[in-house]
Amino acid sequence: MNISSFESEFNKIMRRDYFTSHVKPIREQAFNNFLEKGLPNKNWEDWRHTDLKPIKEIDFRLSEISDAPAHELDITEFGLDDVHTIVIYNGHYQENISSVPSGVRLISLADYGDQNAWKIREPNDSPFDLLNTAFMDSGFCLTIDKGIQIESPVRILYISSTEKNIMVSPRMYIDLGESSSITFIEQYEGNCNEYFLNGSLIVELKENSRMSHFRIQNNSVDTVNIGNIHVQQDSASHYTFNQFACGSRLGRLNLLADLNGKGAECFINGLTLTNNIQHIDNHIVTSHNAPFCTSSQYFRSVLQDRSSGVFNGRTIVSEGAEKTDSKQSNKNLLLSKGALMNSNPQLEIYADDVKCSHGSTTGALDQDALFYIRSRGLDIVSAKSLLIRAFVSEMIEPIHHENIKSYIISKFDAWLNENTVQ
Amino acid sequence: MLDIQDLHAGVDNKEILKGLSLNIKPGEMHAVMGRNGSGKSTLSNVITGREGYYISKGDVRYKNESIIEWPPEQRALAGLFMSFQYPVVMPGVNNTYFLKSALNAKRKHNGEKELDAAGFLKLIKEKLTELDMDTSYLQRAVNDGFSGGEKKRNEVLQMLTLEPELSILDETDSGLDIDALKIIADGVNKYRSPERSFLVITHYQRLLKYIEPDVVHVLIDGKIVRSGGKELAIELEEKGYGWLES
Ligand SMILES: Nc1ncnc2c1ncn2[C@@H]1O[C@H](COP(=O)(O)OP(=O)(O)OP(=O)(O)O)[C@@H](O)[C@H]1O
Ligand SMILES: [Mg+2]
Repeated sequence: MNISSFESEFNKIMRRDYFTSHVKPIREQAFNNFLEKGLPNKNWEDWRHTDLKPIKEIDFRLSEISDAPAHELDITEFGLDDVHTIVIYNGHYQENISSVPSGVRLISLADYGDQNAWKIREPNDSPFDLLNTAFMDSGFCLTIDKGIQIESPVRILYISSTEKNIMVSPRMYIDLGESSSITFIEQYEGNCNEYFLNGSLIVELKENSRMSHFRIQNNSVDTVNIGNIHVQQDSASHYTFNQFACGSRLGRLNLLADLNGKGAECFINGLTLTNNIQHIDNHIVTSHNAPFCTSSQYFRSVLQDRSSGVFNGRTIVSEGAEKTDSKQSNKNLLLSKGALMNSNPQLEIYADDVKCSHGSTTGALDQDALFYIRSRGLDIVSAKSLLIRAFVSEMIEPIHHENIKSYIISKFDAWLNENTVQ
Repeated sequence: MLDIQDLHAGVDNKEILKGLSLNIKPGEMHAVMGRNGSGKSTLSNVITGREGYYISKGDVRYKNESIIEWPPEQRALAGLFMSFQYPVVMPGVNNTYFLKSALNAKRKHNGEKELDAAGFLKLIKEKLTELDMDTSYLQRAVNDGFSGGEKKRNEVLQMLTLEPELSILDETDSGLDIDALKIIADGVNKYRSPERSFLVITHYQRLLKYIEPDVVHVLIDGKIVRSGGKELAIELEEKGYGWLES
């Protein structure tokens, strides 16, 4: 997609009238800023290892209502017990098969903007956030009022179907009131050949609130999935993020968490499985802006074939953020000689009394362990899968929610079956 | 049971076994002694099929079949077992799961019904009692955080569970305290039978007091230079290896 095709799609969205006129200047401003910056390239520090060719070489177009004929859609294969699901099909909200539990207020982005006189928090000025603002379509806000605990998880399920070279730019807000809590799942599915999803999600956690956030990136291995997540935490709030990513030709997660209140906790975890020519890039920035906060970034990847990945994790401890406790760890398992991982955990510390650690390892399966297992009579494929399973178990075992855990395990098992070879 | 003829093997350009011959009949207990670096573990590795060794001459035959082209799992399924000198630590691999998978692979290979969780637990608990190990081993990851002696016991536990016909014990006695040594020796002795053979590698005559060998071999620089009865071990303990060198 070159600049002129972005421009012609932009002109198209400006002519659409289902958003209020308020949103037009916001779009315009964002798009102009985007044009000034352009798409990132490998000369940009934060994009050194990621090639955006899969975006550049295809002309994506906006999704039309006709791209989402509801009768085509069958979501039974994505069944997940005790979970409320909001379905977005090729960029369009499927109201009749969507639900949220009571206690959660679900409103459209248009209404949310109107209610707040369009003084809503914008993401930042990174190119993909700007693109998201310029093109934002399926938009939502979930609000949980003060003191409300939502027991059953809420899932937003994005499905893309075959042969649609469409571009979808969901914008979501999640506002958690004081002492409220929710489990939230973003799930990406579909068998498209060409599809470009660029979502921005803005999460606000008020004092003492809790959010457990899952991101299941299981969309087709031919498509593009860019996730921009912005988390703002007040004091004593608790945020846990677990990503399970095995989909996308090109995947990039930009997760920025700001710990702004005393005693906030933020645990960011990711498990990435890639094969063939997939490339998945996780870019995480945790900023400690207040004292007594705890954070961690734990990422693991298993890479098969010629796939590649990036872990770029930064923890910033600002001046005054005393008693910060933070850990970073990135471990990567290369299953083939052609696989490549770029790991770059970084610490930036401007406070004195802090406890910070980080580490990174990348390697192949342990030959001694393989022989040990085989010498007990298990064949090489079983031996490998035993070791791969052990490698990922530390990411999956800690998941508290049993249904979600077994759901993720079943997806991992499927991947393992296909990707463990002699 | 095991017949090794004029075996020459090594790594890279280094020949380690230099014309080794060894014949073990069903029910026999053979001991191999020798200095550090003489090639004892190399011999165990070559018999059990570890990758990375070349064989330039000779053959390893097990039950009248040449096995040098076989992958390690095929040898294991055929009844070979090695208790590792340095058991491998495998974080994240549950001990019970590992052992149950291995046992069921073997049962499947033998055309027996695979054991379910309850059936396996019953069996493994008997073996644990035999080796005076407590059930907490079952929940732990394979050898992860195990003491030196605990790792060795875990190897013997695997042996008793998998029921091999030829067991190679590579310095299983090293790192065991006196009581543990007796327990392991008792376990091995109970396991002895006219069909089961052993190759025990050790530095100490002490072990051979508990586990009586039929034959003792001395390995020097990749070759067996002397074989004899159990009194050879006593003689070695007194005189060292120097007198056997040419
Ligand atoms: N993979 C290898 N690469 C290089 N040298 C090796 C390798 N394996 C074994 N050797 C060498 O071969 C020789 C024999 O080693 P081996 O482990 O078989 O000795 P050992 O008799 O078991 O000794 P110990 O009593 O100390 O266990 C040693 O000199 C060792 O350094
Ligand atoms: Mg040795």
